[in-house]
Amino acid sequence: MITANENQSWVTAHADVALTGANVAWLNHQRKSALAQFESVGLPGVRDEDWRYTNLRALKSNDYALSAASPLSIELAETANPRLVFVDGHLDVNASTGLSDSVTSLKDSLELIEAYFGSTLPKEPHGFTSLNTAYAHDGYVVHLKPGQVLDGVLEVVFVSQSADAVSHTRNLIITDANTQCTIVERHIGAHGTVYLNNVITEIIAGENAHIDHYKIQQESDDAFHMGGVFINQAKGSQVKNHNIALSGLVTRNDIYTNMLGQGAHMEMNGLVVGQGRQHIDNHTEVNHAVPNCTSDEYYKTVLDDHSRSVFRGRIIVAKDAQLTNADQQNNNLLLSKDAEADCKPQLEIYADDVKCSHGATMGQLDPVSLFYLKSRGINAEAANALLTFAFANEVIERVNVDSVRQELTQILAGELLSGLEELV
Amino acid sequence: MLKVKNLHATVGGKSILNGIDLEVKPGEIHAIMGPNGSGKSTLANVLAGRDGYEVTQGSVEYLGKDLLQLEPEERACEGIFLAFQYPVEIPGVSNMAMLKAAMNSMRKYHGEGEIKAGEFLKLIRQKADLVEMKHEFLKRAVNEGFSGGEKKRNEILQMAMLEPKLALLDETDSGLDIDALKIVSNGVNALRSPERAMVLVTHYQRLLDYIVPDYVHVLANGKIVKSGDKSLALELEAKGYSWIDGTDDAATAVQQAS
Repeated sequence: MITANENQSWVTAHADVALTGANVAWLNHQRKSALAQFESVGLPGVRDEDWRYTNLRALKSNDYALSAASPLSIELAETANPRLVFVDGHLDVNASTGLSDSVTSLKDSLELIEAYFGSTLPKEPHGFTSLNTAYAHDGYVVHLKPGQVLDGVLEVVFVSQSADAVSHTRNLIITDANTQCTIVERHIGAHGTVYLNNVITEIIAGENAHIDHYKIQQESDDAFHMGGVFINQAKGSQVKNHNIALSGLVTRNDIYTNMLGQGAHMEMNGLVVGQGRQHIDNHTEVNHAVPNCTSDEYYKTVLDDHSRSVFRGRIIVAKDAQLTNADQQNNNLLLSKDAEADCKPQLEIYADDVKCSHGATMGQLDPVSLFYLKSRGINAEAANALLTFAFANEVIERVNVDSVRQELTQILAGELLSGLEELV
Repeated sequence: MLKVKNLHATVGGKSILNGIDLEVKPGEIHAIMGPNGSGKSTLANVLAGRDGYEVTQGSVEYLGKDLLQLEPEERACEGIFLAFQYPVEIPGVSNMAMLKAAMNSMRKYHGEGEIKAGEFLKLIRQKADLVEMKHEFLKRAVNEGFSGGEKKRNEILQMAMLEPKLALLDETDSGLDIDALKIVSNGVNALRSPERAMVLVTHYQRLLDYIVPDYVHVLANGKIVKSGDKSLALELEAKGYSWIDGTDDAATAVQQAS
C-alpha cells in the first residue's frame, strides 16, 4: 500500500518544473484539477480492482525526475517515412522530419487543442493519467481538416535514454470529417536503463474518419511503461488500434473508445510477447453508447519464463445502443509453467437487440501440430518456435499497411524465431 | 531396411497391435489392408513415433538402428516419412516455410549446410508440378482451407521434397475422388525407386490399381493374418473382410456369450 507521503513526493518532485503553457488559463485549470484528483487517489495499488494483478512495487521503489532535453544519443534505422523523434519526452527538432501545418508539437499547438485536451479521458482516471494531465510536457499533435488525407505513414519515435527519468507525454490526433491517417508510435529505450514512460494519446475521430494507430512498445527491459490511448468516435468513423508490447519490465496500457456516433467501427488488435520477468497489463474498454456500431477486439499473448500478463476487456452496450455488434477474443499461449496469464472479459449489456460474443483461451502448443512438424524432420525447438510465431503472427496479419506489417513480422521473427528468421 | 518383430502396442491402455511381424526391403512396396479398427493406422503411427502409443513388446529395427529409441524428428531425418491420414492444418506457417525448415533441419542432422534460397525455390516448384499443385498454394498456410484432395496432394509434395527412404502412406486414398486419386498415385509412382521402400495403409483395393504393390498383408485384430502378392487384394475385394476375420468374429461372439 502506498502512503500519502509517497504520493506527495511525486508532486513535490515536479514542483519546480517549468510547465508547458504556464500562463495558459484553461491548461492550468486542467492541471490543477488533475493534481487534486491525483492527490485524492494517488498511485494505484493492488487493492484497486483494476490493478489487482499488477504490482507496482518495483516502480515505486525508484525516484524519477523530469529530465532536461538532450540530443538523441542512439542511432535510428533509416526510414522513408516522415518521422518525429522525442527524446525523454522532448521533441528533438533536429532528428525529426515531417513537421507541417497538420503535424505539430503539443507545445506549439496549445490554442488548437484547447477544445480537445482531456476530452477523451475516463471519468475516473487512475493516478498515472492524472499525473500525465498535471505535468504533460510535450507530445505530437496531428490535426486534419475536413477531407484531408495524411499521405503515407507518420512515424513517431519516443526514445527514453536518461536513467531515472520520467516523461509525461500527451499526444492528440484530432481529425475532422472524411479524413484519413496512419500513425505508428514506437517506444524504445536505452538498454539496461530504468525510466518511466507515462504516455497518453487522445484520438478524436471525426465523422467517417479512418484512423490507423499503431503502438509498438520495445522499451528497455528495466523500464516502466504506463500508456493510455483514449478515443472518441463520431458517426461512421473507423479506428484501428494495434497494441504490440514486446518488452519493458512493467507495462500497462489502457485503451478506451467511446462510440458516440452511429455506424462507427473500432478494431483493437493486441499482441503481448512476454519473457523473463516482464509484466504486461492491457485494459481495454469499448463503450457502445449509441446504436449501430461495431467493434472487433483480437488480443493474443505469448508468455515464456516467469512473465505475466493481464487482459481486461470490457464492453459496455448502453440501453439505447441497439444493433450493436461486438466481438472480443483473447488467446493466451503459455510456454512455461512459471508464466501466468490473467484474463477478465467483462461484458455489460443493457440493450436487448445486440450481438456480442467473446472468447478466451489459455493453453499450450497443439501436440498434433507439433508431431506433424517433427514428422517432417523439424527438431523440437524449431517446431515450437514456428508454431509460437504462427500463433502470434495472426495479430500482425491484421495490419493493413504492407510496410508496417512486414516490419512487425521481422521484429516478431527476431523475437520468436531465432535462427529461422529467413523463413518468413 | 525395416524389420518389425512381434510388435505389440497399446493406446490408452487398450491393446491395438498384437504381435506384428513385417520385413520391408529397399525398393519394395507393401500394402497393409484390413477392416476398420484392425490396427493399420496404429502401425504407421507407431513407426513414425507419434505420442500416445505405447509399445509393450517386440522390436523395430530400421537400417540397423533400434527405431523405437529415436524421436519422431530423428526418424524423419533418418528417412522415414509419414503421409498423414488427416493432414494437420497449421495456420500462420506457410508450406514453403515448413518445408524449408524441414529440409534445413534434416541437412543439419546430416552435417550439411542450408539449402540455397534459389535452389529451394526451383525444387519446390518442380515438385509442386509433379502433384499438379498451383504455385500459389506454396505460400499458403499449411493445409489451411485446403480441400481433402489438396491436403493429400500436399502430403505427396512434402514426400517428394524430403525424399524419404521409407514412406508410410496412411490411408492416402481416403476421401479422394478418382481424378485426385490419379494425381496422387502418379506422384507416388514417380517416387518409386530401387532405394526407396513404401508401406501403403489402405482400406480399399482401389488404390492398388494405381500403385501396384509387391506384397499385400491383411491385418485383423492387430495381427497380420494373411500375406501374399497383389492378387490377395483382389481376392479380398471379391470376398470382403469377413473372409479374413470371420473366424475372429465367431471367436469373439463365443467369448462374449460365455
